[in-house]
Amino acid sequence: MTARLAIDASHLTRTFSSEGKPVHALVDVSLQVYAGEHVAIVGKSGAGKSTLLNLIGALDRGYAGELKVFGQHLKALPDRALSQFRNRQIGFIFQAFNLLPNLSVGENVLLPASFGVDLDHRQLRHRAHQLLDDFGLGDRFGQMPTQMSGGERQRVAIARALLLRPPILVCDEPTGSLDTQTASHILQVLKDIQHQHGTALVVVTHDPAVAAAAGRIIALDKGRVVSSDDYPVARSSP
Amino acid sequence: MRLRRLMSLIASNLRVAWLRAVLATVGIVVGTGLLTFFLGMGQGLREKVLEKIFPVNQLELEARAVQIFGTEQVLGQEPLDEARVRQVAAMPGVLRAFGKQKSSFPARLWGGKELLGYNLFTEAFFDGVPAATLRSELEAFEDVAAKRKSQPGRKTARCEVDLDCPAGMGCQDGQCAPIVWADRFTESADVVLPCSAGDPCPARLTCSDGRCADASAKTAPLRCLLPAAADTGRDLQFDLEVGVLAERCASAGGWCGTANTTCGEGRYCAADNPDSRVGWCESPLPAVLNPLLLEVFNSDMARSLGAAPIGSLAVLYGVRFHVALGDSYFSKDADKARQQFKQAQVVGFSRKAPELGVALPREVVRHFNARLKGPAAAAAYDAILLDTASNEKVPYVIVEAEKLGLQLSRKSRAARTFGTVVLVTSLALMLLAAVVLLVAGVQIAQTFAMLVHERRREIAVLRALGAARLDVAILVLGEAAAIGVCGGLVGALSAYGIAGAVDLAASRWLADVPLVPHGFFVFPPWSLPLAVTVAVACTILGALGPARRAMRLDPAAVLAEG
Repeated sequence: MTARLAIDASHLTRTFSSEGKPVHALVDVSLQVYAGEHVAIVGKSGAGKSTLLNLIGALDRGYAGELKVFGQHLKALPDRALSQFRNRQIGFIFQAFNLLPNLSVGENVLLPASFGVDLDHRQLRHRAHQLLDDFGLGDRFGQMPTQMSGGERQRVAIARALLLRPPILVCDEPTGSLDTQTASHILQVLKDIQHQHGTALVVVTHDPAVAAAAGRIIALDKGRVVSSDDYPVARSSP
Repeated sequence: MRLRRLMSLIASNLRVAWLRAVLATVGIVVGTGLLTFFLGMGQGLREKVLEKIFPVNQLELEARAVQIFGTEQVLGQEPLDEARVRQVAAMPGVLRAFGKQKSSFPARLWGGKELLGYNLFTEAFFDGVPAATLRSELEAFEDVAAKRKSQPGRKTARCEVDLDCPAGMGCQDGQCAPIVWADRFTESADVVLPCSAGDPCPARLTCSDGRCADASAKTAPLRCLLPAAADTGRDLQFDLEVGVLAERCASAGGWCGTANTTCGEGRYCAADNPDSRVGWCESPLPAVLNPLLLEVFNSDMARSLGAAPIGSLAVLYGVRFHVALGDSYFSKDADKARQQFKQAQVVGFSRKAPELGVALPREVVRHFNARLKGPAAAAAYDAILLDTASNEKVPYVIVEAEKLGLQLSRKSRAARTFGTVVLVTSLALMLLAAVVLLVAGVQIAQTFAMLVHERRREIAVLRALGAARLDVAILVLGEAAAIGVCGGLVGALSAYGIAGAVDLAASRWLADVPLVPHGFFVFPPWSLPLAVTVAVACTILGALGPARRAMRLDPAAVLAEG
C-alpha cells in the first residue's frame, strides 16, 4: 500500500532582505515526505534547515514555489485558517523547549487546546494526563516547568506537541540541549511515536546520531538540496 | 481562543508581571478617581446647592430695567399683568407661569414662643403667589401621598372639632382624619378681608358689613369681641387667642359679648384694627416658608439667640405667629384704622417662597396692598415665576422673554451665574482628570510595548501552537482591559471613599455654616460603570499599538533567534 503524501514541496525559494540586499535562504528546494516517514534535514549552520522547517510548519508563507501539506496549499489560507491548520496538523518541538514559564506543566501541555475549535476539552485533559503518564511525568501535572530538568521539559514539550495528535511533527534540534543519555531517550520516544501513530517526523539536526536514526536524510547546503551522500552522517547510518 | 483559557492566560501573565501591572494601574486609578470625584462633586453642587437654593428649571422674570446711577430702574414698560403672564405661559418650553405680587406695605411679625420658649420679632415681607401653583411642592414636602395612603386603614373617630381627635389628626367632615396642611393653602382660606367704600374686594367677593363676603358661602363669619386690655391684664397685640362671640347689643347698637363662647378650635378673634375690640372669627393666614429658612435659623442664628436648633421642617407645621399688616418696627406707615393684626400659621414649605419672608395666597397680599398702599400697588405683578419643561429649555425661554421686554430677576441671574460657574468648574476639573487619564494611557502604551517585547518568544510559541494574529491581539488587549477594570474600580471606589470622608469632615466642621448641604457629592448610579468604561477605554487605547505589534510579530523570525 502506498503511503499518503504528507508534505509536497516543489521549487521552494525563500529570500530575505538584509540591509537592502537579497539573501537566498532556500533556492529551488523540492522534497516529498510521506505519512509515517522519519526524515532528517541536515546541513551546516545557515544552510536553510530552520527556514525549510518554518515553511513546512506553516509559520512562514513568504516563499516562492509550491508547498502542499496533505494536499492543502498553505499560501492560499487566510491567517485564521492557517493558524487552525498549524494547530491541528503540525506539532512543534524546539531545541529550547519553549514552555511558557508562568504556566504549569499541565497548562503547557493543554495550551494547543486553547486555540482549537470543536474540541472535547474534558477528553483532552484526560489525554494530557495520559501523555504525561506515558513520559513518566504523571505526578508533575501541577508543577512549574522551572522545577524540571532539561529532559523532563523536553518530554513536556513533546506531550504538548502530541496533544491534538498531529500527523506531522517538526522538530528543530530536539536533543540539542540535552545530554547524550537523555537525548537518546528522547529520540526513542520520537521513534515510538512515529511507529505507533504513523506520524511523519521531520527533524532538523546537527547531531549525526539523530540524523542516523532517520529513514531518510535531506542535506542542505547554501539553501539548496545536495546529495546526502556528501554528508558524513549518511555514510555512517546503518 | 476560549474565554476561560484567555482569562487564565491573562491572569497568569499579570501575575508574573504584577509589579509592572500595578505601576501601570496607578495612573488609571488616579485618573478615574479624579474623574469620579469631580463628577460626584459637580452633580452634588448642582443637586444639593444649586437646586436647593435656585431650582434650575424655575425662572423669575421681571420687567426689563436699565441702570441709572448704579440702580436698576424700570422705564416705560407695560405692567406685568395677567395678559403678560399668559404671554409667558404660551412661550414654547414653559410649563406654567404665574404672577407674583410682593407686599408693598410694611409689616411686622412676632411669634415662636411655643417652639422656642420666647417670641422673636422681625419686620415681615410677603410674596403673594397663587395657591394652586404651590400645591405639588407643598404635598411633596409634607408627603401627603403617604398620609393619604395610611388613612383608609385607620379607624376614624367621630368628632366635632380638632381637639376631639388624636395628635396629628384633625376633624374633617365630622370624622378624624390626618391633617393635610397643604389643603389649607387656598385662595379661599377662612380669612376675613376688611373692606370699605375705598377698598374694593377681590372679584368674586362683595363688600358687606365691613368685610369682603362671598355670597355663595353657606356660613358667614361670626363677629367676636375682644376684652379690653385692662380687663385681662394682657397685651392683646401679643395674645389674640382670647375673645368671645359677639352679638349686637340691644341698646347701644354696638357689639356685646356672649357668655364665654369662643370662636372655636383652630379659629381666633381678629380685631378690625388695632384699636378695635370688635373683630371677626377666622382661621389663621396660611403661610408657606422657604425650607432654607430653617437652615439659616439653625446655623449661627439659633446659637446667637441661645435657642436650640429646630430638628426638622415637620415640627414647624401648624406653628402660629402674629403679623401686624401696615405696621412696622421702624415707621408707622398706615393709619391704625387700616392696619390689621392677624395670626398666620405655617402650612407648608416651598422653594418658591421668599428665603427670608413668607408666601401667602396672592389674593390676600393683593388685597392688603390695595388697602394699605392704594389700588395702584395691587394693579400689577412684581415678577412672573415660570417652570420650564426641562433645564435645556431655559436659555431659549430667556431669549423669548427678552423679546417680551422681560429679564431675569436678580435671583435668577445669580442662579444662572452660579450654575455656569459650577458647570465650568466641573468641566475644567474633569478635563484635568482626562489629562491624567491621557498620561495614564501613554504609560500603559509604554508598559505594554515593553511587555510585548519581553514576551515576543512566548507570543511566537503561541502562534506556532495555533494562535491566530487576532488571538494574540485579544490576549494583549485583554490584559489591558483587566488592568482597566481593576484601575477603574479602585479609582471609583477611592473617589467614593474620599468623598465620604470630605462629607464627614464637612458635617463635623461646617455644620454651623448656613446653606452648607449635608454632603457635597452625589454619585449617579452610572458613575461606577462610567469609571470602569473610561478606564478600560484608556488602557485599551494605550495597548492598541503594542497589540498591533504583537499581531504583526513574525513567529518564524522570533523562534529563529534562538
